This record gives sequence, structure tokens and C-alpha cells, in this order.
Amino acid sequence: MCGIAGVMFKHGSTGLGTGQALIDMLDGCQHRGPDSTGFALYEDVEPGKLRLRFLVEEENGASDGVGHNSGVEAAIADIRTTLEDHGAEIVEDEHVGNSYRVVVRFSGDVQKLTYDMEHAATLISIGESLDIRKDVGGAHDVDDVFHVREVQGTHGLGHVRLATESEVKPEAAHPFWATGFTDIAIVHNGQITNYWKMRRRLERRGFEFHTDNDSELIAVYLADKLANEVPLEDALKTSIDDLDGTFSFLVSTKDEIGYAKDHLAAKPMIMYENDDLIAIASEEVSLNRLFPGRALDTREPPPGSYGTWSRLT
Amino acid sequence: MVQIDLGQVSVRDANEQIRKWGAEGEDIEVLNPDARHHIGVGLIHPVRVHIKGSAGYFCAGLADQARFEIDNNVGWGLGDNMYAGTVTVRGNAGAIAGVAIRGAEIVVHGNVGSRAGQVMKAGTLCCVGNANFMAGYMMYGGRIIILGESGERVGEDMAAGDIFVGGAVRSLGSDAQLTDIEETEVDDIRAFLDRHEIAYKGGFQKIVNAGKRLRYATSEQQVRSIPFFTFSGTSDYWNPKVQEDVYIKSQIGRYRVRGYGGARTLPHLSDLAFKRDLSSAGTAGDPVAAVEMYTEIGGLNGARPLKLSMPVMIAPMSYGALSRSTKQAVGMASSMAGIAENTGEGGMSDAQRGAAEQLVFQCLGGRLGWNIHDMNRADGLEIYISQGAKPGFGGQLMAKKVTKELATIRGIPEGIDLRSPSRHPDILGADDLVIKVEEFREATGYCIPVSVKLGAGRVRDDIKIAYKDGFDFVELDGMQGSTGAGGAEVMEHVGVPTLAAITQAMAALGEVEGLGKMEVVLMGGVRDGIDAVKGLCLGANAVAMGTAVIIAGGCIACMQCHVGQCVTGIATQDPQHERRYNPVAEARNIHRYLEGVRWQIAALTQALGYGSTTQLCRDDLVALTRDAAEMTGLPYAPEYRERELALRGRVG
Repeated sequence: MCGIAGVMFKHGSTGLGTGQALIDMLDGCQHRGPDSTGFALYEDVEPGKLRLRFLVEEENGASDGVGHNSGVEAAIADIRTTLEDHGAEIVEDEHVGNSYRVVVRFSGDVQKLTYDMEHAATLISIGESLDIRKDVGGAHDVDDVFHVREVQGTHGLGHVRLATESEVKPEAAHPFWATGFTDIAIVHNGQITNYWKMRRRLERRGFEFHTDNDSELIAVYLADKLANEVPLEDALKTSIDDLDGTFSFLVSTKDEIGYAKDHLAAKPMIMYENDDLIAIASEEVSLNRLFPGRALDTREPPPGSYGTWSRLT
Repeated sequence: MVQIDLGQVSVRDANEQIRKWGAEGEDIEVLNPDARHHIGVGLIHPVRVHIKGSAGYFCAGLADQARFEIDNNVGWGLGDNMYAGTVTVRGNAGAIAGVAIRGAEIVVHGNVGSRAGQVMKAGTLCCVGNANFMAGYMMYGGRIIILGESGERVGEDMAAGDIFVGGAVRSLGSDAQLTDIEETEVDDIRAFLDRHEIAYKGGFQKIVNAGKRLRYATSEQQVRSIPFFTFSGTSDYWNPKVQEDVYIKSQIGRYRVRGYGGARTLPHLSDLAFKRDLSSAGTAGDPVAAVEMYTEIGGLNGARPLKLSMPVMIAPMSYGALSRSTKQAVGMASSMAGIAENTGEGGMSDAQRGAAEQLVFQCLGGRLGWNIHDMNRADGLEIYISQGAKPGFGGQLMAKKVTKELATIRGIPEGIDLRSPSRHPDILGADDLVIKVEEFREATGYCIPVSVKLGAGRVRDDIKIAYKDGFDFVELDGMQGSTGAGGAEVMEHVGVPTLAAITQAMAALGEVEGLGKMEVVLMGGVRDGIDAVKGLCLGANAVAMGTAVIIAGGCIACMQCHVGQCVTGIATQDPQHERRYNPVAEARNIHRYLEGVRWQIAALTQALGYGSTTQLCRDDLVALTRDAAEMTGLPYAPEYRERELALRGRVG
């Protein structure tokens, strides 16, 4: 139950940055989801390195089950140890808001690393370019803590959430990353009704899930296809038939942004494109936030459709 | 002409100004709309509103007589429920353009999104470009003209009306068919297009209802009358009800649709008892004078609350399920008792409005009889999501009861087996719902409380959504609620018992810090003042009574409400039968009953040691059965059973 937004600057952002654009768009549709807000921001700042972000301020400490859950410092120590055990060299780290951000040099098996990390702490984002920042509250609340507006970036996704079936917690906020894969994020409005069937199918093939949220399923589903060198566009196409329910979702990778919409078209989505950018949102009011006072030539994607855009530079 | 700049003022202020200028006959220009929602909703004056840019959701919604012109695109729900008037959109429209219109002319020069014209009753929706998926879904009348392609499943489950398509018909929906087009119809369309300056010279294909699903093949007749206590029996296996079910299904070859509620034995309020010895109840003077019972409901967000002389309301029951005289009697009784009545589905009649001093107006997915004028004269608005007796289903009204008069009020064809839509066209999730609630507030100037009726299902989640979406109060309906007509299996087996519903609702409200803020009115099998007090103890702010009120007003509980030949003149639209009903006498009977309820509530509250019904609390109760204890979390104390029986004997 939510509002989604996505933006990609085809030639890199000039003037309005990715962070500010997403803040504006999400503020425009905050009525769709006042509980939590999140951003998936892509920027080419640490080529050759991996950026990871963990949630470290959960109620019971970050590492339950392991026995070291005595607060944030212990959680951070855990994370550092686990990273080092896997041969990741910590280049930079920072504890901000509800999260612990680390930049590492790492050349091993990312899937193994992330699965092991997930047993130590709640990993919410991993990638060379991707950084997910999310928390309870509105777009401006999250920006106040995480300085989203300072991110120039190339493209990104955003999400406002009204919690219905799950609790209001940062880890239930979107965007979701594809557990085990880098640089893939998803925001989703709707409900996948064959969730457990699809999840079991993926689990049988060795994938792990760290939430019961259907959006994580979409992310892993797509990431699996991408890892097998299926183009994003084709993965989106099959997702419309493989996933059951009502959904409108956006996905982003290092270089692409894409959407898919189910056959019943019960969840809104509207897009605006010009030579410089593609912007997609739940409602036109969000798109108009980027172009105040202008009548935009927007397009509503038809039911059962999908599409992708790539960075041109 | 005046200008309103949405870059400078909020939509709420803008709408107030639009209504004010509209009343003075002044045309209006809206600058910098930037796709904001709810522009111009509830405008009921014949003025022109020119929106210079894009508008968001529900543009021109709930309007009457006004003329709107939008230079660019509009969001979902263009012209929602509009009566007379025109709308011209130069760009595209989102989903459900022209939803539930009852006479307006709407022209979209670009494309329209999915489900255009859903549940429309009259008027014309014209799309110059292409339509999307399921245009004309469940339409009851009027005309859709699509000059481009139709999209998939055009005319899905339409009951009446015509769809004309200029371009390709992609596919026909269920129960829709192509038919020949009359010359006069084409002339009418040409005249319409000329009037709106649309150049189109091509031909049309015409789509209408195919007539396969409007009526059940065999209707269910009354066979014999079994008293409710026999009907509900003590055995679940071969009691008279089971036999009757088998027999009737052997005649009709499908599931049964019948009136009244489920007959299964479920844990209920009678499985709770008061901890304290109440043998002194009612012995200390006049309890009604001694106990504060006045209750306000719905003031949470600044709207004018309902003012109840006791924490009791009338449960929603429709004019349609019940006769006009019955609704009148119930309304009169509610006024005499100083409580609030509820229209149920199917519109508000003058007789009802006149009889009830406080009247809640209910809005269902079919928008049958829903309109801005009756909204404005209501004391509360209520969005029906579902009903305790049949959660997940819309109203059902068998053909016998869908008379000409009733069909006219509702805007539907006469004599169909009406199965109202089970969901709203514009509420597909909590996110859409919040925009809908806002539309109602904008249209009525934020002074009428907006409530939601929830048939207990996913109570925990739903009550949180209701709170987050800003409703002023909730009517929570448990499984023991009754209905004028419902699938028998559904009534028996689907739903959540009233006890469980209120317990879960309170726990969930606690989790979102909404306890004591958003009021909850509990209904579903509340029979008397003793039940009412128990409901209040469990956390309800008030209770609503339906079946008890109908019985007080002459119902003999024969379980045949759906048939339409009610011998008491209550559940019928047949004037012959209705003639037997004396609304003035029955209003007095209902009122006497309600005064009895008042005395019971006062006497018990006083005997529990309180001066006000707001002091009643869970600690006053114990559970007499293990099931009831499980459901409520109250201590299991079967030893209180005799005391409970004695209490019923004394004050029941």
C-alpha cells in the first residue's frame, strides 16, 4: 500500500540531483504512505569497491540468534569481524541514523558473503553504485538523517509506505535489494498473491529470503534472471506472467531502470520522458513536482506492460 | 471570472473558494494545478471551471451542473458520481474516468485508462482516443462512445447501457455482445460529437448486455416457515434448516440466497458474564437519571459529531431490503430515542431524511443512490467496505424487490437480481482509500464525519488502515450480524465472530496508539442493553442494533427477507404487503424497545458502580466458555453462569 517513484537522468544529472528529485516526487505522494520512506540511490563514487549498508538499531539488537546482541556497538563489531573473515578490506565506515555504512574492497563470492552477512546483521543494501537509505517517517524526515538531497547520482528509486499487514519498522520499508545480488533494487506497490509458491520455487534452487515481504521476492526473481544473463526487459516480461496479483513495480540496476504492471492494472503508474530524463511515479502529481506549473505530456502504461531505459553515458 | 492559483493556496482553500464563487455564479480559472487531487469536487452550481494544466484524482468529482474544462491530463476517477454538467479534458484521463456518473457529459480528447465508466448509470462518456481494459465494467446505464480502440473486455458484466466503438473492438467482456445499431442512435452520436466539436466521420459498433447473468435461472421461493429457534436448532447435522437447505437446492440447482443471519452457534456476548454481583441492578431509584450516557461519535478530526443520548445507534439497513414504511418507522424511532439512523445501501429518501434527526449516509461500491446533495444533508458519511454477515460480498437484492421506484433511485434496470459490486471502483488498497476519504471531506467542507463499515475479517490490519487513513469512526460488524439477502454458506461459515472482532480491534488500535481516539461502533448480534454493556466493556464506544430493532418493529423472524413477500410488510417492496405495516405504531414499538435498552444500560452501569458508560471496562467481565475466553482473553470462569442467567431473568 504505497506510492512509488523512479528517475533516471539519461546523460547523468545536471542541476537537479537524483536525491532531490526523489524527495520532491515522494513528498508529492506522501499521502499514499505516511509510515516510512526509502530511497535507492545510484552514483558512481566508489568504482571497484562495494558499498554495504546495515540496519543496526533494531529493538533486540542487530544480531539475534548469534548471541552478540548487546546493542549497536556490538552489532557493528560483528559486522566488521564477519566482513574481515570473508577477506573484505574495510576502506571506510560510518554509523548514521539507524544504519551502519561500510565501503569495502572485495573480490570473492558476493552471494556467499551476503548470505553470511545476513546471519550476522540486517543488510539492506549492497552494490558498487547502489545505496539504499530508508527509515520510518516522511521523505523529509529520512532526508534530514541521511542527507539524500546531497546525492547527485545517476538514477534511483523511491517509495512511501503505509504499513498494512506488517509492522512499521525500517526493515519493512522499501526499497528492497535482491538478497545475494549487488546493485539491484526494487520498489513495489501492490500484492503478489502467489508469493509462497514462487518463494519456495526459488528457495529450492538455493536462494535465501530475509523478509516475508513480497517485494523482496520480485527483486530476487529478477536478479536470478539477470545473473543468468537474461536481459532486464525479458525478465520483466516473464515476471508479468509468473507473478500473480495486482502490482506496479520499478526495478533498477547499475545502468538500467525498468517497470512492470500486472494485467489488471489495479495499481496506478504514470510516466514522463524527455531527452534528459525518464520519471515514473504512482501519480502525476509527483511528476509535476519536478516541473511546477507545466502541463506534462505524460503516459500511463497499459495493463500487462513493461519497459526499460538505459543510461546513455 | 476569478482566478485561483494552486501555487499559492491549498486545494482545500481553493475548493472552498470555488464553491463560494460558484454560488455567486462566477466562472473560475485554476492556475498551476500541477495534477493536484480533488479540484472542484462537490461543486453544484452551473459555472465554468477552467483548469489550466493537469488535474489529479477525482477532478470534478461529486459535482452537479458545473462545466469543467481541463487543458491537460487528469488522474483517476474523473467526474466521479457527477450528475448534470459537462467535463472536457484535452489530454488523457487515468483509470475509471466517468465512474458512477448519473447524467453528465464527459469528453476526453486523449486516451482513457482502465475501467472507464465503471458502474455509470446515465449520461455520456466519450473517449476520442483509445480506451483501456474493461471500459463499461458493471455499467448500469448511459452511453460510452469510444472513437479509437475499445481495449480488452469491453462491457465486462454491464447490466444495461450502450457502448459504441469507432475503432477495433479488442475483445468483449463477460455477458456483453455486439448488436445492430439504429440510425437514430448514430444521429444522436453525431449530434453529440458536433456539439463538442469533434470531427469523426467513421462508423460504430454497438455493444450491449447479453442478458445471460442478470437473473438467476430459478428463483428461490418460500416453502415453509421455520421459527428461528428451530431453524438454528441444537444440532449442526440434521436440523430443520439443513433439511430445508437440501430441499431448496434440489429445486434451484445452485447455492441459496436467503435473509437473516447465520444459524450456527458461535461464541457471543451471552458467553460473557459480569464479575460483580448485579442483583441490585435497577433498585436504586431511576438509573437513567443517575447515569451519564450521552455519547458523541465522529469528532476526531474536527467534524460535527453524532450526538447520541445513549451509546447506541441503528445499524445500516437499506431501503430496498426494507420497505419505505419500515425505514420511516426506524427513522422516527431513532429520533424519539435521540440516536442516529443509517441509510444502508441504496440512497436516501426524503421520508427517511425527514423521519431521522440524525442520519448516516452509506456509500457502497455500486454507488446506488449515492449523490452530493444527500451527502450534504447527511449527519455522517460511511464508506462500506464489507459486512459482518457476508464479508467480501456486496449487497444482494432479488428481482422481486427491484421495483421501478427502487430501480429509479438506485439508477439501475428494473427487475434484475441485483448483486451489487463487492468492491469500490476507486478503493483497491489503503493508499487509494485515503484519497477517497479526502474526496468526501473536500466535497462536503470537512464538517461531516466520515466512517468506515468493516465486516470483521482481517480486523487487526483493517482497523489500523482505518485509523491511518483518517476515518472519524469505524462501524465494526461481526459475523452474527444479519442481512436482507446473502449466500447461506457465506453467512454460516465466513466471517469473524463479534467477540473476536472487538477484541482484535482494540488490540490493534493500541498498537498504533489510536485507542481512545478513533471511535469504534460495534455491531453484529447486539440484542439488548445487556449485550450493549458488554460490548462497551470490551472497548466499543457505542453499539449498533439492526435485527433487534426490526423485531421490535414487527418482524416475525421467518428468515424469508430475500423473497420479497414479507407478510409483515417489512422486507418487501410490494405495496400489497407493505400496506400491512403501520409505521407510526411500529415506530412507537421500536422506541419503547430502545427505551428498555436505555434502562438496561443505565441500570447495569450503575450497579457496576459507575456514573458514566465511559467508565465500563474489560475488568468487569469474565468468560463463561473456553471459546469465549480464547477469543476475548478474559478469564475463564464458568461458575458465573448462574449469576448471568439470574441477571437476564431480572433485567432482561
